[in-house]
Amino acid sequence: MPAGVFKETYRADMAHLRYPIHWAGLVLGAGLALTAPLYLQGYYLDQAILFMIFLIAAVGLNITLGLAGLISLAHAALMGAGAYTVAMLALKAGFNAVLAIPLAGVAAAVLGFILSLPSFKLKGYYLAMASLAAQFILEYFYSLLAPEQYITVPFETKEIAGVFFGEGVPLYYLALAITVLLLLAAGNLARSSLGRAMKAVRDNDVAAEIVGINVTRTKALAFTIGGFYAGIAGGLYALYSAGIGWEGFTLLVSIELLGMVLIGGPGRVVWGSMLGVLVLKTGWTNLESSLSPLLMDMGLDIIASTAKYIVLGTLIAVFIILEPEGLIAVLRRVKEYLRLWPYSY
Amino acid sequence: MDPMLLLESTVRGVIIGLTYAMIALGFNIVYRVNKSINFAHPVIVLMAAYIALVASYRYNPLLAYVLAVLAGVAASIAIERLVARPLLGRPPVALIGATLGIYYLFKGVTITIGGAETASLPIGYKLYHLGPITLGLNDIVSGLGSLLVLALVILLHMKTRLGSAMRAVAEDVEGAAAYGIPVRRLMSLSWALAGLVGALGGLFLAVKNQVSVELEFYAIRALAASLLAGLDSIGGVVIGGIVLGVAEEVGGLLLDDYLPGIGYDLAFFILLLVLFVKPYGLFGTERIERV
Repeated sequence: MPAGVFKETYRADMAHLRYPIHWAGLVLGAGLALTAPLYLQGYYLDQAILFMIFLIAAVGLNITLGLAGLISLAHAALMGAGAYTVAMLALKAGFNAVLAIPLAGVAAAVLGFILSLPSFKLKGYYLAMASLAAQFILEYFYSLLAPEQYITVPFETKEIAGVFFGEGVPLYYLALAITVLLLLAAGNLARSSLGRAMKAVRDNDVAAEIVGINVTRTKALAFTIGGFYAGIAGGLYALYSAGIGWEGFTLLVSIELLGMVLIGGPGRVVWGSMLGVLVLKTGWTNLESSLSPLLMDMGLDIIASTAKYIVLGTLIAVFIILEPEGLIAVLRRVKEYLRLWPYSY
Repeated sequence: MDPMLLLESTVRGVIIGLTYAMIALGFNIVYRVNKSINFAHPVIVLMAAYIALVASYRYNPLLAYVLAVLAGVAASIAIERLVARPLLGRPPVALIGATLGIYYLFKGVTITIGGAETASLPIGYKLYHLGPITLGLNDIVSGLGSLLVLALVILLHMKTRLGSAMRAVAEDVEGAAAYGIPVRRLMSLSWALAGLVGALGGLFLAVKNQVSVELEFYAIRALAASLLAGLDSIGGVVIGGIVLGVAEEVGGLLLDDYLPGIGYDLAFFILLLVLFVKPYGLFGTERIERV
């Protein structure tokens, strides 16, 4: 607790909005998000939608990895499960793609639960291997589902009451509504008894069991909830993209999501994930699209294609070693420095 | 099914299995000292192959191979110094995440150096007919080479003073330190040894197949051999590797009609099966850790 902050009640300590800066951020953020279609068009609006899709997925991984400390390398495959659920339901059964999104969440949640089974007996590294294996196996099955590479979700299933939810402003507001709902749920989860149980399991599972936490149930729930978020994200992705293929859900995407959580702030479910996605998805996409042509002109095409690996890998390693709490901790230090300035201690 | 075809697949499986075993050994050596998996190991395999390729354009092939192995060892030591050592005492998840980061970093560097091209290493091409089985010179070199390296490393672990010191560190770090064993130096040495077998594995894979970005997936699949043997077993990897290799070749042959291209993904089914049924592997020590 930084100096000069006094909380007198538990309620004040646990409030979502504790400082004036939070209120300012809420007003500004909500205003900007609600009016985004006014100043973002086409490509940039698509980026905002992609940002939300990956934010939902990253929040899910942050619950599994950040809160419960269970490493999952199959998060992209879980996203894929959601996307393929929507696509197959729409394609084979003529199901409405928008209404199928909750089902996508459920399907991925079931997969997430299955993935959690090894974690009952095993520690972190075994779990990493189990999820790695699951990632490759699911990739393989996705490649079987669509031998001609892409599954297109039929356009007419993306409509509700004449509004086409496949792109642009309607999709933006749909994604925004889902994101806000899921983020609120995640933020509250982190401060509920279940969230505290997850943190206890993460920090010391033996001690957690001794104080009466059902470790098995907590781990299973962490994976299931994480999977649900990934599935919803995948479902939205199926709605957003013209065609889905297994290349969208490879190990690289899993590692990217892992990077988002680790760089943003593991354990800080909402804001940490948001920072991570902002840096690794939105920031990186824009940086890459502006730098790549330059590199190509200089004849360094190979660097243009490998820069992603190098930057992503370096950031993950450096943050784990030097700043395990992620960017959010850096920001907090900056904030505290400014708040106490010029009388810092 | 033609029995001759089956026999040939089995022989091929054993040969590739020996290389798998060698790469798996690298996972296990690191696991024994750090109690976590080094996910940067596959990229050492890839890097060695590409460095050998790039160097062989310029120097004599033998020198290129030596350079590749040295680079693998150096990279592994660097990872230990800069990543694994600062993370000692942190939960295993930290080392897993950090080595995954290093994996992508090195992958980017490797592709930048080598280009993502597919090419063969300069090694003679010759076919041998052993009864009904046809093997290339490349198969024989990689199989026998892997066997030799495996034997040497296992002997080093089992028979020499250095090996017993390494086993002591793997067993109990503090106890080993109390007996005056230089724990840190041995940890470095273990990583160096892992880098050595990884780089040699990369070379043998490149000799057997080709230099390509696919090689890293061979190394990832070798995790299944490592787990099947038990993560802290040394000699067991030979069995693990051979089982994995034979399962891939024969399984691919038998199942391909029903599930196209399943061969290479069988490793992951084996991995999951082992995790669910016998997570400590065939030869691993069972740690009683109730949670």
